[in-house]
Formats: sequence, C-alpha cells, structure tokens
Amino acid sequence: MQIQPSDLGLIARVAGLAKRYGHGAGAVTALDDVSLGLRRGEFTAIMGPSGSGKSTLMHIMAGLDSPTAGRVWLGDTDITELGDAALTVLRRRRIGFIFQSFNLVPTLDVRGNVMLPFELDGRRPTQDEQAWIDELFDTLGLGGRLTHRPHELSGGQQQRVAIARALATRPDLVFADEPTGNLDSRTGREVLGLLAVASARYGQSIAMVTHDPVAASHADRILFLADGKIVRDAGRSTPEEISAFMLSMELAA
Amino acid sequence: MRTRMKDQWPTLLVAALAGTFGVLLLHVTGLLAAAIRADDVTGESDTVALMLGFVATVFVVIAVYVSAIVTSNTVATVVAGRTRTIALLRLIGSSARAQRAQIAKEGLVVGIAGAAIGVLAGTGAAFGVEQFAVANRMLPPTEYDYLNPAVVLPAIAVVLTTWLASWVGSRRVLRVRPIEAISNSNAQDREELGRRRGRNVTAIVLVAIGIGLLVTGVVVGLTDPMGVLIGLAGGILSFTGVVLGADVVMPPVLRLVGRLFGRSPAARLAAENAVRNPERSSRMTIGLVIGVTLVTTFSVTMESYRAMLLAAQEAQPEVYAGIDDMLNATIAVFTVLIGFSALIAAIGMVNTLSLSVMQRTRELGLLRALGFDRGQLRRMIVVESAALTVAATLTGLVLGFGYGWAGAQALLGGAQGDPVFVMPGVPWVMVGVLIVAAGVLTLVASIAPARRAMRVSPVVALAVD
Ligand SMILES: Nc1ncnc2c1ncn2[C@@H]1O[C@H](COP(=O)(O)OP(=O)(O)OP(=O)(O)O)[C@@H](O)[C@H]1O
Ligand SMILES: [Mg+2]
Repeated sequence: MQIQPSDLGLIARVAGLAKRYGHGAGAVTALDDVSLGLRRGEFTAIMGPSGSGKSTLMHIMAGLDSPTAGRVWLGDTDITELGDAALTVLRRRRIGFIFQSFNLVPTLDVRGNVMLPFELDGRRPTQDEQAWIDELFDTLGLGGRLTHRPHELSGGQQQRVAIARALATRPDLVFADEPTGNLDSRTGREVLGLLAVASARYGQSIAMVTHDPVAASHADRILFLADGKIVRDAGRSTPEEISAFMLSMELAA
Repeated sequence: MRTRMKDQWPTLLVAALAGTFGVLLLHVTGLLAAAIRADDVTGESDTVALMLGFVATVFVVIAVYVSAIVTSNTVATVVAGRTRTIALLRLIGSSARAQRAQIAKEGLVVGIAGAAIGVLAGTGAAFGVEQFAVANRMLPPTEYDYLNPAVVLPAIAVVLTTWLASWVGSRRVLRVRPIEAISNSNAQDREELGRRRGRNVTAIVLVAIGIGLLVTGVVVGLTDPMGVLIGLAGGILSFTGVVLGADVVMPPVLRLVGRLFGRSPAARLAAENAVRNPERSSRMTIGLVIGVTLVTTFSVTMESYRAMLLAAQEAQPEVYAGIDDMLNATIAVFTVLIGFSALIAAIGMVNTLSLSVMQRTRELGLLRALGFDRGQLRRMIVVESAALTVAATLTGLVLGFGYGWAGAQALLGGAQGDPVFVMPGVPWVMVGVLIVAAGVLTLVASIAPARRAMRVSPVVALAVD
C-alpha cells in the first residue's frame, strides 16, 4: 500500500519541485528541487530575500501555476496534472486566498464577497457553515459593515474581509502572500493575530509568505528560501532569531 | 508618447466613419440636386433641392453628434486606464493641464486624419453610387462636380468635434492625484456624479416643456394637422432632455435589465459591472438610444400613416395606386440614414466595453483565483454586453413608440375631418431587425473581451505591480 500525504499528517506536499522561466542563457531558475510537506493545522511562514521563489512556490502549491518538474499534492490529491476545470473547482472548495492587495471584488459588498465561494459552487451555506460565518464576522469585527463596498473600507478592514472569505469555506489550506504588506504595523499585527488565532483555535492550516520577522514569529514553523532552495526549516521563533538568520543570509549572499 | 497613439485607433475609426458619411451624403445631395435641375418638370423649383440639403444636414449633424459622444467616452475610458501613468508623471512634476493638453492634441491629430480619410472615402463612395445609379438608369448622367467646396463643412465638423470631445473626455485627468501612482489599494473606479445638478435641472425642464408641447401638438392635431409641428418641437426638446439626463435615465434601466439575467454569480457581477461606471455606461448606451429612438419614431409614424393610406386605398384604389412601394422606399432610405448613427454608437460600445474589460485584468485574475471557471467569466462578459445592448434597445423602442404615436396622432388625428384616435402602427419588420441587430451587437461586443478574459491567469491577482 502506498503511503498517502495525509497518513503523514500533511495537508500539502511537493516533491522534487523545479520551476524555470525562459530558455538558454536567459533562463531563470525560480525553484530548484524543492521538497516539503505542510502539516495539517499548522501556521507556516515562508521567508526569504526578494526573488528567492516564495511566490512561485505558493502559486504552484495552490494550483495557480504548473511546475517544470516535480509533483504537487493537496491533501491526497495529486494536482500536478489536473486540468483547468478541476483546478478551478479545487480552488473554489479546498483553498483560500489572501493577497497583499486587491483581494475583494469591488462591485460586491462585504457579505457578497464572503459568500462568493459558496455561490460559485451553486449552493447556500449549511446551517453549520452559516453559524461559522457569523462567528467570523463577529470575531473580525465586520458585523456592522456587511453591506459596505470595498472602497468604503480601510485597508485593514479589507484584509479582514479577505480573511473571512478565505476561512468561510473551511478550506484545506489558506495561502496568504504578504497579507500585511500594505498595512501599517499595528493593523498588520492585528490581522496576523487573527490568522494565528484561526490556526490555533480552529485548526486552520495556513501558509503565509512574509518579509516581516514579527509577522513570521506568529507562525508555528518558518521555512527560509534562498535562490529557489529551502535553506532552513525552523520551528516557532522569536522576531530576533528570525532577523538574525535573515541578516546572516544576506551577509552570506 | 508614440505608443499612446495606439489606443486612439477607435477614435480614428469613428471620426473617419462620421467624415465619410457626411461627405457621402453631401455629394449624393449634390448629385440629386444636379439631376433635379436637369429635369424639365422639377427644374424650375429650388424647393426640392433646398429640402434635400436640409434633410442631409440634419442627418450629418446627428451622426457627428453621436460620434462626439462616442469619442468623449472612448477618451474618458482611455484616460481611466492611464491613471497610473498620469499619476506617475504628475508625481515627478508634470502639470495636470499639460497632461490634458497632450490628450486634446492627440484628439486634434486624430480628427484631422479622420476627416481626411472621410473626404477621400466619402467622395469615392459617392462616385461609386453615381456610377451604379446611372448604369441602372436610376439617375440621369449629370454634370456634378466632385470638387464641391461644401465637403469641407463635414470635414471641419469632424475635426472640431473630435478635438472638443477629446478635451471633454479628458476632464478626468484633472482629478488624477499624484498619490495614485503609489497607492496600492483596491482600485476606486467609480466616477463621481456630483456637480451635475445644473445639467439635470436643465434636462428635467426640457423634458417637462417637451412633453407639454407633445400633448399640445396631439390635441391641436385633432383639428389641425399643423399640430405635428408643435409636437415635433416637443419631441426635439424632450429628447434633448433625455440625452442630457442620460446619467440619470440609463443606470436605473441598466439595473432593471440586469435583473433579467438571473441571480447566478456571473450574471450578478455582470449586472453590477454594467453600472459600475454610471457615466461611462450612460454614454456607452445613449448613442444607441438615439439611433433606435429615431428609427422607431420614424417607422412607427410611417406605419400608422401606411395603415391609414391602405384604408383609403381600399376605398379609392386608382388614386392611391403604387403608394405602398413609394412608402417602402422612403422608409428604407431614411432608416439606413438614421441607422448610420446607430452604427457609430455600436462601434463606440464595442470599443469601450473592450477597454473596460482590459482595465479589469486584475479583478478577472482574482475571480479566477477564487474559483470562477473560464465559462463563467465568458458568461459574465456576454451578459454585461447584453445588459448594455438590451437596455439601450428597450429604451429606444419605448421612446420611439411614444414619439411615433404622438407624431402620427398629431399629423393624422384630424386629417379626415373628424377627430379620430390613430392606432399606432407596429413596424414588425423593423422591430425584428432591431432585435436581431441587438443580438449581433451583444455577441460582437463581447467576443474580444471574453477571449481576453478567458486567457487571464489567476496569478495576475497575486502579482503586486
Ligand atoms: N513570469 C515570470 N517570468 C520570468 N521570471 C519570473 C516570472 N515570475 C517570477 N520570475 C522569477 O522567478 C524568481 C522568483 O520569483 P518570485 O516571485 O517567486 O520571488 P519572491 O520570493 O516572491 O520575491 P518577492 O519577495 O520580491 O515577492 C525571480 O528571479 C523572478 O524574477
Ligand atoms: Mg512574491
């Protein structure tokens, strides 16, 4: 019997992953033989210098981009060769996204944005899901803003809506690419706190790309990338430890 | 700045079409006038030539007016797409006025080019028409001189309106703040509709006076056919009011029509997209409304007229022999002439929709990332296109039926001595053609944007530019 990723407690896994852009002399290797597994229920931070391949790794793990070599699993599903239609359904049901900016559909209000994944699936939330969504609105302090459009919200509020949407379907995995990159440090910290709570209290698996050592210190696990390779896999760390490592990476480069 | 001329080609197309139409119509009028002068029976009278010139002028003015609306909308849309660049230039010290002047200058250049193309193409087309008509004995050979100095008039009109429309359309440049170059928040692409009160008041006053005159015309028409002239004035005034107040009239219609397409996420977003820039959507649709209203008004009036004539024909067949053919020919010619403005408006819609969708690439990527499949994106764009077309066609049909009936009633209500109620004639063929045309326009307008939308990769939503 073959061992499935889930038998190892993994929610996502990549093996021998490589991504190259272009050909010949101008080719760029964005990812170079990366193998890793993300554990269920964990909050994982991905760090590394600019251009080290963080976004590329995340796009491939989320089925938004395809690797040049290697395989990708989400749960027990091998998504490496899934077609566009299957990947679309997968994103709808099993993945949540939080982007740095432009997270929300400008023509929909807060409620419409959060409900969108359900509507795309052609169904209403179950009673249980509705209770969860109400709890999210409550926890994220969005109760009074459900009929507001994105342009009527501050950047921090917009990110909260994005979090509510990403968590609403209770996806297998939430991907966040620099979710606090556009926020001031206090608002950013609040948003991060909410992500950490989602992971700790509700067992939500989260993968977050960040440049900010304070942000990464909220995570259970920190992966460091450099030149398309994983150079360090650390457990929960203090901002000082993270900064020190980042600095040593820069000095070594 | 070279590359910036690239997004001006639709404006060039519109200017060239309006120019061609104007010049062609002028030459054809000249040809007809020459033929009439050569004819022994009609040669004495200048009235016919004068009437022809007047009618041609009206049609050219309508076409140029519609193309001005289309151009200002295209320019406004292009400016909206260039906001980031303009903001960056502002940030490094360029003044808003210089930026705007640049766009107006482009408009002038495009206008001149369009007018030149129009003079050449229009003259060529008129020559073709003459050869064809003479060969088929529809027109006697004439001495008409193609170096008619009057053709500079439509040419100048095209240059000036394109220039002016670019200036009006570039108003938004003044509102671009340098900070928009560096801010990274959700794009706020709604356009403020404030500062419009004066215009809206004018619109309401015009509509009110116009309707009053229309009613007066209908009442007077019960006893005196001259009532139609009062009605005509009322029609022109009230319709000008509707066009001026398009920002107020069209969005509710668009919302209503948007609901017809159901509650699926694709349809709902499409309905929202159709009104997300109320100003842009209003200008996108109002040109079509003008065309459809005029065509409908004209054919409803003529159809009512025909119904009455047919009744008369039954009573006195010999007096009214052949009248039907003549009516059909008149209706066909006029419909084509009015339809030309609708064509220009349609081109404007195709182009503006395409630009709008292009400016939404990021949002399309977001939708893909969230789980919209390609089919849903395509449906979303087709429905948006349909909402715009259907709203314009419906509005035009309703207005046209109203005006057409009022015209027929005022003209014919007292024509037979006793005041009668004139049943509005329904020109089924025209309605059918309009519906088919609306369907074709919906599809044509959505092909390019839908194809582009389906190619958008969800990765663009994550990219930070
Ligand atoms: N579409 C593309 N075509 C060519 N090269 C690309 C493309 N996308 C990414 N790259 C290259 O791949 C490498 C990794 O890019 P990636 O966006 O993953 O970096 P990152 O770690 O997310 O950086 P940042 O912290 O700046 O966001 C970079 O060298 C980048 O130039
Ligand atoms: Mg990145």
